[in-house]
Amino acid sequence: MSGEEHYVDTEEGTVVFIMTSGPSTPTRCATPFYLGSVLASMDVDVHIFFTMEGVRLMERGVADDLVAMEGGKKIIEFIRDAKRAGVKLHVCQPALPGYRIDEQSDIIEEADYVSRASVLADLIVSSDKVITF
Amino acid sequence: MECNGCEFIPELYYDEEYQIWVRREDDDTLTVGMTDLSQTIAGKILNVRVRRPGTRRPPGKPVATIESGKWAGPVPNFIDCNIVEGNQEVLDNPTLLNTDPYNAWIARVEALNGPEAALEQLVTGEEARAGYCERAQADDIHCQRNPS
Repeated sequence: MSGEEHYVDTEEGTVVFIMTSGPSTPTRCATPFYLGSVLASMDVDVHIFFTMEGVRLMERGVADDLVAMEGGKKIIEFIRDAKRAGVKLHVCQPALPGYRIDEQSDIIEEADYVSRASVLADLIVSSDKVITF
Repeated sequence: MECNGCEFIPELYYDEEYQIWVRREDDDTLTVGMTDLSQTIAGKILNVRVRRPGTRRPPGKPVATIESGKWAGPVPNFIDCNIVEGNQEVLDNPTLLNTDPYNAWIARVEALNGPEAALEQLVTGEEARAGYCERAQADDIHCQRNPS
């Protein structure tokens, strides 16, 4: 190892995570926030767009007791770590009615935006990388 | 000096959330490290990456990235500065941040507006001790130096 791996050179860019996993697959629910935190701390503009079952992670109370692995940290704490690192959280508005989530009363305060699909479309075409979980 | 088992050093300078400490060195550069509170929250630190020496980092742009088994995020920066160097010992052995947080500095920086102006934005001494203890108690943080 040369030691070069210890230094960060990244330029600013944009990465979008499309988060479709939710409480039925908890093992898939921590990594996007962890990786998003790493990227954000490297000056990358990170957006996580929750759609399909992923919107349930933004529903009040759902992430509070959810863990990716036994004895692990709560998913809500991963979400808060990502927020502190600068990750922006979008909730897919068209997905909410299917999960009976009320946009006004049921979404956690950590969510930044309730966004239309066209917002996701704009993010996809303008970003440097798109990652789906 | 300690609170909830978390070591506090009054001579250092701290941000308002007590995530980092800053020390003025003899050559007027500043070294930056993690507090005992921060290393405890992070858990066993597995990797540290510092911005390339010579890079300018304005306030709000992290000086380094930390990864542990359960936490990842920035080493926040409150100073308009240039990175002088990373601490090679810490880069090679990141758990030094857990075992010796106030000697294991992460990055040495040069404040662009001078060290006095940089340190004025931070808290130190008795004011810092009170805030540090308040955070440890409010968040119920009990520090550990040898996390698993």
